[in-house]
Amino acid sequence: MIAELGHLLAFLALGAAVGQSVLGLTSGGEAARRLAVAGAIFAALSLLTLIISFVRLDFSVELVAAHSHSQKPLLYRIAGAWGNHEGSMLLWCVIMAGYGALAALTMREGKLRDRALGVQGLLTVGSFLYLLFVSSPFTRLADPPFDGAGLNPLLQDPAVALHPPFLYLGYVGMSFVFSLAAAGLINGEIDRDWARRTRPWALGAWSCLTIGIALGAIWAYYELGWGGWWFWDPVENASFMPWLVAAALVHSLIVTEKRGGMASWTVFLAVLAFCLSLLGTFLVRSGVLTSVHAFAVDPARGTILLIGLGLAGGAALALFAWRAPQLKAGPEFDPVSREGALVLNNLFLSVSAALVLVGTVTPMVLQWMGEAKLIAPEAASMSIGEPYFQLTLAPMVAFLLLFMPLAQAAPWRKAEMTPLLKWLLPSAIIAVLAALVALAMGGWGVFLGFGVLVGVWVIAGVAQDILRRAGAGGWRRILKLPLTVWGMAIAHIGMGVFVIGATVETAARTEQTFPLAQGQSAEMAGWSFEFQGVKIVDGPNYVATRADILATHDGRTELLQPEQRSYPVSEMGTTEVAIRKTLGGDVYVALGDQLRDQDGVWRIRIAHHPLIDWVFGGAALIAVGGFMSLAARLRRRSAANAEAPAAPTPEPAKPEAGVGASA
Amino acid sequence: MIGPVIALLLQAAPLEQPIPDEALEARAQAIMRETRCMVCENEPVSQSTADMAVDARRAIRRQVMEGATDEEIRDFFVSRYGQHVSFRPPLDGWAILLWGFPFALVAAGLAMFGMKLVRNRPSGLAPVSDDRGDEVG
Repeated sequence: MIAELGHLLAFLALGAAVGQSVLGLTSGGEAARRLAVAGAIFAALSLLTLIISFVRLDFSVELVAAHSHSQKPLLYRIAGAWGNHEGSMLLWCVIMAGYGALAALTMREGKLRDRALGVQGLLTVGSFLYLLFVSSPFTRLADPPFDGAGLNPLLQDPAVALHPPFLYLGYVGMSFVFSLAAAGLINGEIDRDWARRTRPWALGAWSCLTIGIALGAIWAYYELGWGGWWFWDPVENASFMPWLVAAALVHSLIVTEKRGGMASWTVFLAVLAFCLSLLGTFLVRSGVLTSVHAFAVDPARGTILLIGLGLAGGAALALFAWRAPQLKAGPEFDPVSREGALVLNNLFLSVSAALVLVGTVTPMVLQWMGEAKLIAPEAASMSIGEPYFQLTLAPMVAFLLLFMPLAQAAPWRKAEMTPLLKWLLPSAIIAVLAALVALAMGGWGVFLGFGVLVGVWVIAGVAQDILRRAGAGGWRRILKLPLTVWGMAIAHIGMGVFVIGATVETAARTEQTFPLAQGQSAEMAGWSFEFQGVKIVDGPNYVATRADILATHDGRTELLQPEQRSYPVSEMGTTEVAIRKTLGGDVYVALGDQLRDQDGVWRIRIAHHPLIDWVFGGAALIAVGGFMSLAARLRRRSAANAEAPAAPTPEPAKPEAGVGASA
Repeated sequence: MIGPVIALLLQAAPLEQPIPDEALEARAQAIMRETRCMVCENEPVSQSTADMAVDARRAIRRQVMEGATDEEIRDFFVSRYGQHVSFRPPLDGWAILLWGFPFALVAAGLAMFGMKLVRNRPSGLAPVSDDRGDEVG
């Protein structure tokens, strides 16, 4: 019964979304609001029924039979509900309806809210139609099997269980930003108030997307067994493109909110962020690419997703073309000003998004042209990977970080370059010294030196900016700085930490595969590793081959136990690496295969990943900074609501004017 | 008699030995990371345990030791498996556009920015501090 109930609830949610879109776009704002809440409840209950089917191992449901198994631990039975195409599309629908309900409950009454709910309703209708008619998770089997086919054991992992929900909170969060953009365009009001009300949604979605991407990278690092955290795989790029555009958006929204400028560019980015989310979903879900992640191979689904992308994107761009010329230009500003710095920020971020997009899509387009006999087969086979993205993206990131401290400290409208640069001289000196030290420590080349240079420059620049804002107030004043300032500071420090970690890890990691027989040793990165043979260990639903390796460093010895697991149900294997954390990085040991022609000799892969935690820690700081900015926004709004009855108090003038003010 | 036998044994040994010279080994590993394992799903030969990857690693190390340039080693693989094998797109023909367009876009953007700075730079503007950012004017 429960699957049928879930199916029914999904149809009810679809119905509510139809009503929400019609009423929201016409004149029934209040009714649309109620329907948005009701629809989200229906959708959430529908997902709950699917989770119950997974927990109760109801193998008469096709999806459960295909993706679960009686030996699977409870957490992964729950996560199994969205660890497959159909279930993840239901999660998508739930989150989309959920954002609509959140807006219905929290947004101030008015045309913007109603229209946005209407547009969000249309997107929700599209999502539910796709779910119910081409990827229904509720299909029953006439002849249920005794046990399920199991989950992909690679996905049996806490990071990857949480990866899709966060990724979708980010992707789908962009849907409400899109709805606000479309609503603002319909109303012809893309102004400071629109930006003020849109920014929290963009910040929330972008921060969630950051966490989702980082979880995926962490998972790849320790689960795939080769210690890489990013491979420029199309699936990874699919989530990185909307992240870059959303990063540009949260910055251009500041200009629109504070100064009323860049309105049409901002609204264009708001539309683009969701279109790229849809494109990413299309790339992952359609099976146009072959990779470990793309587990749904069905051209019909892909075609429908592409049509949906065309409809949503086309309609929004048509709206944009119609309304954008009517948008008011903001007040004039000098190129040397905070506005100017944020324009450059947007230039580098959007060019980065463009190059990731082109680099990801080009091989697929070539392959398609080859198959359609439009070009010769030799010309159709091209790979675009790490070398391309590193060489083209690194300069963009370097530019971005070079301008970052300037943007933080410059006043709006007009700044003087000379005092600004003079003021930042300490940061520049610290950065150059740090880069020289990094270069002296190892012959890792210009790439690493430059990464350390811009990373330290940004961190020192943030520190200087905090001190400047605190003025003579000392520590007390520092702690009392507004949450918005701290949000920016922490996100920017996170960016610096990430760039230092990423460049050092990429340039200075060492890895080596040693064929070792029992009793033999290998040396690496100041450690010695003695292989003591393997033993077979039984796990809950797998059999593990576990190696005992005695690792010695500075006279102390400890046991590392990397494993290879074999899952009989799914006939798949996974690698469980042994990671020894040290202050400077990870010592990473993976057990490979036994040599074909030499019994008892195993490939042991040993790597050193310097500053790897800076990579993930930096990403975490970026997300935390984003959430802090969001919290500041919410707090300010509730304060404004509380004070609403009173007369508006004039803001007290404060002495600070930014560095390089030419007053 | 015993000499050639040992040599033969050594040749047959399937062990993957790193190149003793660290700089050469680092170069070899860099090439391994940008060469696709053709029998794997989107993996470079540096990561895979597949036979093709093992053979490719050995071929790369051998060529590095024989003094081949990165370019020659890439050509060796591309001539056997097609351009698909290299994660580094070629730097010729229309692919120059691929490499060049991000820089062209940034240059165009910076040029527009510079034009505004030099040509019609607005005059008579006063700075607006953070706290007064809201006061549009």
